Amino acid sequence: MTIPIGAGHGLTNLEGHTDFDIVWPWNRPGGLRRGATAVLRVKNEAPGLRFVLPPLLRACDHVLLVDNGSDDGTGEEALRVAAEHGLSERFTLKEYPFEVARAGAEHLAVNERSVHSLAYFYNWCFSHVRTRYSWKWDGDMVLTTEGEVSMADLSWQVGMAEAVIRFPRHGLYIESDRKAYLDLGLRNIEEWGFPMSPDYVYTKAPEWEIRTTPERIEMFALPQGLCVELKWLDGDEFAHWTNPESFATSIRNRRKRREWLVWNALHNGQVPEGVVEITSPEGVHVVDHVTHAWLPRAPRPFVVDDPDHAKLHLRA
Amino acid sequence: MTEQPRAIDEMNPDGVPRKVLFVAGAGRSGTSTLAGIVSRLGMHVPLPEVPPDDSNPRGFSEPQWVVDVHDEWLAEALVQVSDSRPEAWFDTGRICSREPARIRVSEWLEPHFAEHPELVVKDPRLSWFLGLWRVAAIRTGATPVFATMLRPPAEVVGSKQKYYANKLGSAHLAASWVNMLLHTERATRPAEGDGGRVFVRYEDLLTDWVRTTTALGHALDLQTIIHTRSDQIREVHRFIDPNLRRVTSTLDDLGLPRRLHELTAATWDELNRLADAGGDTTAAHATFDELRAEYVDLYEEAAAISRSTAEHARHQARRRARAEAADASRSLADRVPHDVRAAIPPSVRRGVRKALGRERGDR
Repeated sequence: MTIPIGAGHGLTNLEGHTDFDIVWPWNRPGGLRRGATAVLRVKNEAPGLRFVLPPLLRACDHVLLVDNGSDDGTGEEALRVAAEHGLSERFTLKEYPFEVARAGAEHLAVNERSVHSLAYFYNWCFSHVRTRYSWKWDGDMVLTTEGEVSMADLSWQVGMAEAVIRFPRHGLYIESDRKAYLDLGLRNIEEWGFPMSPDYVYTKAPEWEIRTTPERIEMFALPQGLCVELKWLDGDEFAHWTNPESFATSIRNRRKRREWLVWNALHNGQVPEGVVEITSPEGVHVVDHVTHAWLPRAPRPFVVDDPDHAKLHLRA
Repeated sequence: MTEQPRAIDEMNPDGVPRKVLFVAGAGRSGTSTLAGIVSRLGMHVPLPEVPPDDSNPRGFSEPQWVVDVHDEWLAEALVQVSDSRPEAWFDTGRICSREPARIRVSEWLEPHFAEHPELVVKDPRLSWFLGLWRVAAIRTGATPVFATMLRPPAEVVGSKQKYYANKLGSAHLAASWVNMLLHTERATRPAEGDGGRVFVRYEDLLTDWVRTTTALGHALDLQTIIHTRSDQIREVHRFIDPNLRRVTSTLDDLGLPRRLHELTAATWDELNRLADAGGDTTAAHATFDELRAEYVDLYEEAAAISRSTAEHARHQARRRARAEAADASRSLADRVPHDVRAAIPPSVRRGVRKALGRERGDR
């Protein structure tokens, strides 16, 4: 059984912006080629791109960054980083001009065929992928060295397998160039790798978008300790949420509640249980230190002590 | 060897950083020869090694543990050492991505650095698990470097048929060679933390191992090779036998299907370019991407055409499994032919039943 939304030629939007209609990429002349593309949807992520993009560009056949109304030079910074690493030919920058509903209550109120819907936005972004496999990626997610080589291998190995790949990640709260806090008190693993086909398209879930899958898929997870999610302690980390009440609605947004707790505790000068303070050597940025040295050399099995995860697991 | 390996501080007063040379390539391509040379020059093969046999009387220079663990994982993934299926790479790739496998390999590798900072790991099955070994090197603070052995595919196929009594036929073996080499090229492309890669022609190694190995040592910055001792060089001269290259045949001798013949020839031509100085370029990688896509297309077409054969094999396997299960459920007595059972006197039969605690009740 195919997913109805992915079965047609593409999607049109309620607002009638025909220049932003979607044509599913498998319906385009020539179809999809082998390989994997990472797709980032970003708004004001300039500071982290020098850490995020280089490993991603090396690991994937292509990286597509869709800027959604940044005013901090995100697009220019992305182009600069790709050029600096000699990987411009693997990089594409696109702009999506419509304001997109913030996760939570605002998103719930928007029709999924509106250009303002997260689901429509994601479908538009992924419609520009030209490879058979895709990685959904965030503008603040940084691969470790081990994460990079793991993703690079899977990107060519996966071929046309009906496989969904889950990637664990850990919040890294950055206080300064040499000091950060790594949250090992939350087991957070989500589906990031998906085949490109009519069975895997975006639709609406209560708090955010969700990618559809056929009934039978193969899903497997990569080990802990391969990716960090940057949280700048001097930034506005929760701007893409309607309000804090929006992530108090279900078990699905447990991660956001944990981030809210850690964020506020660190701002109050407290280091919550499960959070590790890390200082980098002189002359090494703490993000580079964590992703190139600290995490790759951390003792295995890599312990993420999340008591709530165990409870949820038992309940499931 | 007659002397101890050269002391580390003698090689480099600042200390020799950890490095692992992974020797990849198809079996019968000279991987044992290269590993044998670098180990005689002072690099360390983790012990114990696989003992020599008739197919390789001078030894394999393969750590037994590596061979055993690869065999275990290949069996689990249902992948053959010579496997022509492109999707087999994802089957072994999934094993490479598991944490228990990563821990197992890293924990095995770590103590060998106490013996020597520069190790050599070789096994013809290695290509299937290169990602896993790269991770193990990263986790143990070592730099992974790669050497892929190249030998004309006609000779590899001919050698396999000669030494391994391979009944699978030239086309399958040639396709497996193409699959392995094209994907080994992909798997060893420069990645973060790597120390480089080289492609070595078996012929070059036999013709002038000094030149070939010295170039490899410098390209991969292997201190042991660069600073090897005179007595070790002499030992390699005793080890290398140009007659090792016993099988000589051409691709035409194999009688391959036309498209496979062309693809095998093109793959060999391009691999040869990688072995030339300055040949490992971005443009070359793009050519290999095209060849890989072409091979996958060819394989998918062949698989689609021969699907009836695959279905038939599946039905046969199912029937065989059912028959074996039924056979296993029969009692021992049932498996003794009736006329043999009838020849045993009733009193003896009763005695045996009693001894086995399987006496029959009164009727």
